[in-house]
Amino acid sequence: MIIEEHRGEHPGVQDGAYPSASPAARDKSSSDTPGDPVIRVMGLTKRFGGVTAIDGVDFDLLPGEVHALVGENGAGKSTLMKIVHGLYAPDEGQLEVEGRQVTFVSSRDAEAAGVAMIPQELDLFPELSVAENLYVGRHRPRSWWGGLDWTAMRTEARRQFETLGIDIDVTLPARFLSTANRQIVLIARALMGDARAVIMDEPTSSLTEREVQRLFEVIKDLTERGVGVVYVSHRLDEVFTIADRISVLRDGLHIKTAPVSELDSEELVRLMVGRALSELFVRNPHQHGSIALELKGLSRSSEFTDIDLTIHRGEVVGLAGLIGAGRTELAQAVFGIRPVESGEIYIDGERVSFHSPQEAMNRGVVYVPEERQSQGLILPFPIYANITLSILQKIARAGFLNYDRERKTTDRFADALSIRGADVSEPISRLSGGNQQKAMIAKSLACEPSILLLDEPTRGVDVGAKSEIYRLIDQLGQDGKAILLISSELEEVLSMADRVVVMREGRITAEFDRDEATQERVMAAAAGVEEKAGAAEL
Amino acid sequence: MISAAVPRRLKLSRELVLLAILVALVIALSLMSPVFLTISNFLNTSRFFVEIGLVALGMTLIIITGGIDLSVGAGLGLVSVALGFTFKAGLPLPLALFLGVGVGLAGGYFNSLFITKLDLHPLVVTLGTLALYRGLALGLSRADAVSNFPGWFAYFGQFYLGAVPGQLIVFIVAVAIVWVLLARTRYGRYVYAIGNNEQAAHFSGVPVARVKTALYVGTGLLVALAAIIYTSRVSTARADSGTGLELDVISAVVLGGASIYGGSGTIAGTVLGVVIIATLRNGLTLAAVATTYQVLILGLLLIVAVFLNEFFRKTEE
Repeated sequence: MIIEEHRGEHPGVQDGAYPSASPAARDKSSSDTPGDPVIRVMGLTKRFGGVTAIDGVDFDLLPGEVHALVGENGAGKSTLMKIVHGLYAPDEGQLEVEGRQVTFVSSRDAEAAGVAMIPQELDLFPELSVAENLYVGRHRPRSWWGGLDWTAMRTEARRQFETLGIDIDVTLPARFLSTANRQIVLIARALMGDARAVIMDEPTSSLTEREVQRLFEVIKDLTERGVGVVYVSHRLDEVFTIADRISVLRDGLHIKTAPVSELDSEELVRLMVGRALSELFVRNPHQHGSIALELKGLSRSSEFTDIDLTIHRGEVVGLAGLIGAGRTELAQAVFGIRPVESGEIYIDGERVSFHSPQEAMNRGVVYVPEERQSQGLILPFPIYANITLSILQKIARAGFLNYDRERKTTDRFADALSIRGADVSEPISRLSGGNQQKAMIAKSLACEPSILLLDEPTRGVDVGAKSEIYRLIDQLGQDGKAILLISSELEEVLSMADRVVVMREGRITAEFDRDEATQERVMAAAAGVEEKAGAAEL
Repeated sequence: MISAAVPRRLKLSRELVLLAILVALVIALSLMSPVFLTISNFLNTSRFFVEIGLVALGMTLIIITGGIDLSVGAGLGLVSVALGFTFKAGLPLPLALFLGVGVGLAGGYFNSLFITKLDLHPLVVTLGTLALYRGLALGLSRADAVSNFPGWFAYFGQFYLGAVPGQLIVFIVAVAIVWVLLARTRYGRYVYAIGNNEQAAHFSGVPVARVKTALYVGTGLLVALAAIIYTSRVSTARADSGTGLELDVISAVVLGGASIYGGSGTIAGTVLGVVIIATLRNGLTLAAVATTYQVLILGLLLIVAVFLNEFFRKTEE
């Protein structure tokens, strides 16, 4: 029904309304009715306590378009989308779905009206099959005696994936699926509910480049069926690839909405943060010192094998690779979280072996985990208690806490890393993602480390915080710290690392100096040149 | 100066509600029994809640880390039997008391071994040791009782300083120590950190296993202390001493605002919870309510307490 409606001969987009859209965008939108957006919000305002999260924001989503929503963390993107999806009630303003004014009390109302959301944290039932997951919360077909009609469920599930052009075994429990496929299952689930609008919140934050490509194909397919897609992302390159229009939010205000062809990345960054792109990546060359960390033949069963790696004082070594290549496992093994099975670790030439994070920290090794919320921070704790958690042994006299000393230590790091957004005695959960990330780095720096293992330090962080973290990494390098930078973002590794080491399936497959490393070379080493198509899927 | 993880404003309101409950309880019970609202009755009541209270201090910390210890009642019985029957067998009483303390510590350590080394859930581990410790106590005592203790042993449970029972002083000292430990020391911060996010605590260099071991061993010590006071108070060592203690203790801690999911709880809350439960028990006894009904009322109270906690947590959000 949706498909027919929007493949009809509607007049094209009026030039005055959305001038000079890209050819692709124009093709798509030409089949839509311009005056009838799927979603339209007008003057939406939401306050939390005294803080205005969004302030009089206008936004609309046309059928069959990809509308990217960008902005720094804390700009109000999530708040806006949560209102559209019925999680929050707005304080002021109107929400229309397909021309009708609506008031959502819950997400269920939004789903019923055809607004689906693919959340950042993918919530499938891991023990249920793909087909069962599609039917969660909806009417399931029954057989003649009243039991579930499994055949019909599976057939319908298969049909859904076929229309998406995706091959997934629908009988497989969801826990066996890759992140990318989980996302696709959620998209299929949204479409089963006849979604007219799909909101995707940072959909690619844990996908590999190839999976991203596949997601883009699915998104294109959605738009061809007339479904509107709101694409919330920090990754500007993706936004430029996939979006038809871009809206920028800053500090809760709507800054600009424009077709993608009217913007370039520099302009977009300027709109988001009020700075230019060229300021984002600074790296000051400097001399490296002696070897700080050396790994010899490090192995741990199925996770990583025979790893040889050296990092000098003052050197930033980028560890590139696809998700699941064993990089996180390697760093955690060095940090004493996972026992090493064979091989040797040397720090400043002295052989060490850590059985716990405390031991590693005492020797000047810190690990900043990728999973901020589950591994990095105690969210209900005040900011200061998070930052001092690893150094309580030093600042607690005879075991007694001293609030003034804790506060002083915290202030020092909070200032140095420009952690903003809340007083240090407020819970750290009040900080935006970027500031939480900086707080996590502050916590590790409080240990006065000589070796830092940074695991995806800019994941889910906005452009402004990202550049600050880059500047910080550069500064730490100049201060003579040895840094291992694990990152799935090629651009990040290439611009930040003095040397790039690539891992694939638990082994080091390549090593490049800064000037030899190119996107193509690193990608080839990470993905494996003779890799069969489809091997990394499922 | 906030050192706990719980926002100050919330803590205060929760404790005010508990105080209000206590006041309402006292008024209701004093209407039911004329002797209830007398100083001598209050001091007398305190003799009975000290055993619950001592164990509840350790339990508070355990529950804050997201754990639980169901074996405390059985542990009390085992300590009581251990000291009573080694005394009967000819061990000098002072040594028997030390042995009892040793048994309490060992019981806690045994629990912690399964919980930290094998990473088993405390609920299952201590349910097992509940049966184990009680079984050991029954086996060692052969369902017999020891009661011919020398006169000085009565000091532990029957001594009065003026009108104040000796064990109340012991309890007040213990409260002060554990309060400071939880609210003002590194160890207390670790306890809250583990309860809120054990993995992040581990990644941050918190010695999770050591903290937990110390918790269960410390609770074992408090159990032993309670066992000595109890055995002295009733002048009898029997295997069924402390039966059902875990119900009173856990009820008091949860009523005092500790989240059964871990992460929050205070000593002040627990002390209020203990006093409320003891007052209730005492008042119901004075009002001649049968013990079976008292247990029934306590069970209901535990459920209401959990509900109240969740209610407060939601209003906070």
